[in-house]
Amino acid sequence: MCWLNQGFIPEEDAAMRQVAEDYIKASGNKLDYSIMPFMALNQKTISALTSGDVPDLVFMDAPSSIIPQNAWDDKIVDVSDVVAPYESQLSETAKLCSTFYNKATKKRGYYLCPIKQGATPFHIWGDLVEKAGLKMEEIPKDWDGIWTYLKQAQAPLRSKGMRRLYACGLQITTVGPNDGNNLFAHFMIANGGENIVTSDGKLHTDDPKVREAAIKSVEFMTNLYKEGVVPPEALSWNDADDNNGYHEKLFMMDFDGTLSTELAMIKNKKAFYEEMKTLAPVNKNDGTPMKTQVNAGGGYIPKGAKNVEVAKDFMKYFMQPKVMNANLKAGLGRWVPAIPQLVKDDPFWLSTDMPCLKPYVTEAVLNPTLPVFEGFTPAWGQANAEQLWGQAHADVIKNGMKPADAVDKAFKRCNEIFAKVAM
Amino acid sequence: MSVTQQALAVGRSFAGARARRHAWFGGLHGADYIWAIAFALPYIAIFLAFVVYPIAFGIWMGSDPALYEQLFSDPRYLTSVLNTLLYVVIGVNVKMFLAFLLSGFFFRKGWWVKGLMVIFILPWATPALPAYMSIHWFLNGQWGMLNNILYELFGFDGPVYLNDRWTGLACNIGAYIWKTLPFWTVILLAGRMAVPQDLYEAAAVDGASRMHKFAHITLPLMANLYLVCVLLDMVFALGDFNSTYFVSGGGPAMSTEVLATLGIRYAFTVALPRLGVATVMSALPVLIPLVIILMRRLRPSEGQL
Repeated sequence: MCWLNQGFIPEEDAAMRQVAEDYIKASGNKLDYSIMPFMALNQKTISALTSGDVPDLVFMDAPSSIIPQNAWDDKIVDVSDVVAPYESQLSETAKLCSTFYNKATKKRGYYLCPIKQGATPFHIWGDLVEKAGLKMEEIPKDWDGIWTYLKQAQAPLRSKGMRRLYACGLQITTVGPNDGNNLFAHFMIANGGENIVTSDGKLHTDDPKVREAAIKSVEFMTNLYKEGVVPPEALSWNDADDNNGYHEKLFMMDFDGTLSTELAMIKNKKAFYEEMKTLAPVNKNDGTPMKTQVNAGGGYIPKGAKNVEVAKDFMKYFMQPKVMNANLKAGLGRWVPAIPQLVKDDPFWLSTDMPCLKPYVTEAVLNPTLPVFEGFTPAWGQANAEQLWGQAHADVIKNGMKPADAVDKAFKRCNEIFAKVAM
Repeated sequence: MSVTQQALAVGRSFAGARARRHAWFGGLHGADYIWAIAFALPYIAIFLAFVVYPIAFGIWMGSDPALYEQLFSDPRYLTSVLNTLLYVVIGVNVKMFLAFLLSGFFFRKGWWVKGLMVIFILPWATPALPAYMSIHWFLNGQWGMLNNILYELFGFDGPVYLNDRWTGLACNIGAYIWKTLPFWTVILLAGRMAVPQDLYEAAAVDGASRMHKFAHITLPLMANLYLVCVLLDMVFALGDFNSTYFVSGGGPAMSTEVLATLGIRYAFTVALPRLGVATVMSALPVLIPLVIILMRRLRPSEGQL
């Protein structure tokens, strides 16, 4: 039994079924699979891992909330033998997103067979930028500059009758689950604080550079909020609120993972091909190239699975570059291949007529990237789940705390969480 | 003791044992007894599989004291406990009071009252998820219908309801009341309909006013049913997850989380299901007395519905 992640668009599900059916034909093995929505799959998988009644394979877009803790608890099968033949072709980030620490064996190993990876770009209504008298090509390269430039659009657009429009879809939410944490991580990187957690799973809140980056991040975001260029409700946004608001043009830009924002509007030709612009972050605030965070998706095998060999065989089949590429292309590129050479060899990725794809592929594959911090240690996942960073923003905005105090409070709690997960 | 007395004593002891056995077997004999067991077995199996096993598994999952240490060290836990208490106490009592009043209104005769009843039931009949998500968007401070109506009618915007702990909590409680009020109104309406009309007629002959009839007939006869409904709904409200999760999402800054949503967050967002179960288990000291009181109230008594 394989549990597969439902895609955001129907094309992704069709592509997943195709891979499964092709494998059945090629191998002669029987594959009993079901496709289910991400949240349902998440809950079902956690329940299965807890009860021990597990499927043979789970295929997930972003398993970073499940694998770190369960690999740590020795509840997932090491798949290094499956990954080994393709290891040299995989992106460094995909490798880091697929290796996790096991406290029983006391070493890191592959617990995910990476197929896909995804990054977080800016999604901008280009027509609103122009309407406000600004120009897309004049958007600065540095991180803060992008926000500062685009926030200027709000006043002219409101004066043209868009009474409720806000410039920035800044997800400083405390509701979660992921958007606010993802945003904070990118602000940290842009401000030079990417070493808050290192690949050895260690937390560096005692590093003055990290603290300074966190303070700058919280200060910048809360200032944008206080200036009134961010919808006030952003503090309580759930995962879908920013997408819905952006699609309704209730704000002009959003910073959100993958191309789901654009692909959700693919049937609206004008919006998809002309109005929406996708922009990859370029530089950090110090002017050096900015590495954006990339998450990997793929298959993993829970311990106790009855057909481990078939599950591994299916993933070996899926990891073949040709199969991987065909699957992700059929999904319209919402996720890009974990093997970078594929996007260089296949013109689909960089020469397609879909305007959102080239900047996205450039960001997710060709530009330097970092893995999400969750892969380094389960403790980061818990810190995120407690929405420590969103809480810091709320402390400044709602409780009148100074950014430095809010950061120190969040760091204190983060230290407590990390102290319980000694690597 | 004579032989006869001894024989009688043995006979009494046999008869006593037989009577006890008879009572234990429900007065059934031979094949009847086997048939009774055969009919009961599926229900016993279902009860064991779907009631006893999940509860035992849950208790086992939440049995590690370290989980509670971890739980109590989380600053959000106490906030969630307080929110849960407010949610249950305010949500249930305000709703039941309204349901009681409305049941009196819907007790009236007239086709338009029946028509209104159909509309009134709709929130309860609507699936919970889309209903609560609609409320979430309805209350959106910037683009929600409520503030847009306020602006169109009066030229000002209302507050950002879900951006403040107390208004957010009030919205969650309000949504819960809105969703389940029709159900309890119907239950209390059924209770009112069960009150014998002769009593009202006799009171009318004695010259009792409407207030007297309410105070001396309706209220005493409905009191037990009302209390049972309150207790039952408290049990439901303690475990209610939908309203908070879909209306405020537990925000802002997780200040409106209740135990049910905090448990779900631990279980499925942090992937710590044992901690999630422990969160919900921590409500047992309140839940168990409620169930015991409820069971005691369900004993048959005279002069009560």
